[in-house]
Amino acid sequence: MDADPLLAEVKELLVSGLRLDVRPADIADDAPIFGEGLGLDSIDALELVVLVEERFRISIPDEEVGKRAFASVNALVDFIRQERAE
Amino acid sequence: MSLAGRRALVTGGTRGIGLATALGLAESGAAVAVSWAHSPKDAASALATLTARGARAHAVEADVGDPAAVRRMFAEVTESLGGPPDVLVNNAAITEDGLLMMLAEEAWDRVVRTDLTGASLCCRLALRGMIAARWGRIVNVVSPAAFLGQEGASNYAAAKAGLVALTKSLAREVARFGVTVNAVSPGLVETQLLATLPPARRQEMDRQVALGRPGTPEEIAAAILFLASPAASYVTGTTLHVDGGLTML
Repeated sequence: MDADPLLAEVKELLVSGLRLDVRPADIADDAPIFGEGLGLDSIDALELVVLVEERFRISIPDEEVGKRAFASVNALVDFIRQERAE
Repeated sequence: MSLAGRRALVTGGTRGIGLATALGLAESGAAVAVSWAHSPKDAASALATLTARGARAHAVEADVGDPAAVRRMFAEVTESLGGPPDVLVNNAAITEDGLLMMLAEEAWDRVVRTDLTGASLCCRLALRGMIAARWGRIVNVVSPAAFLGQEGASNYAAAKAGLVALTKSLAREVARFGVTVNAVSPGLVETQLLATLPPARRQEMDRQVALGRPGTPEEIAAAILFLASPAASYVTGTTLHVDGGLTML
């Protein structure tokens, strides 16, 4: 289990939202979300944008922001924290 | 009532093809929002007609070529229909005709911005709700000009041809989310514009149509409604030519 509840929530969202065939705990914190690793492509990212925006009430308006937010699971957690703080 | 529980947005939906489409969507059970940019009188009358048929309806003023206005429009429509639209009909369009060599640069820009960029902006905002729902229908209204070219309307023809290409590309991008994207290409349609043409020009235009007459807004709306309906679940990225045999594509 991840000590950080937000990290655990993000992994859980990735698995359930994108119907991945892995356990949330098996996703590495610094794994890139797209490309190799989880086997997700840039079109899957569209769905993740919608899921993350809905769940965490933040905005990922374009590709530039998306690239930053989805660099890794850790990056996504940091991005959500940052956006919520603003 | 094949669209019961659905929410639809028809841009340029207060007259002509847009209004006929909005009425058809309402009769299929959808809550319907229509956008308008030029005539508050048409907007009021369209809204009255829609609500008289028992539909949940809303009219919103928006220049679809203005990103900020499109964002406001989506917020307003989502609020008034009780959720984001899951059917989007990009019908709003303008023309500013002129031979290309002499066409004002602004006339090129305005037509491309409204007819092509406007549809793209609306798609972008509509997709978030559609992907979340894993269901959506986008229908873009194009023109035979996109396929045949049209002298004196290169800006309009180029914008509509661009919209055909956008339709195909976006259809590929969002298919896996249960969202279909198609186009309808209406030929000559009985509208205010057609009524102002000289009789000789009218006859010449009718002769080019295999069915020998212009279509009605309702005949175009029927094709749009089909593409928005569950019956069209296996149709995406295509253009339905509803032109009485003008192009035969």
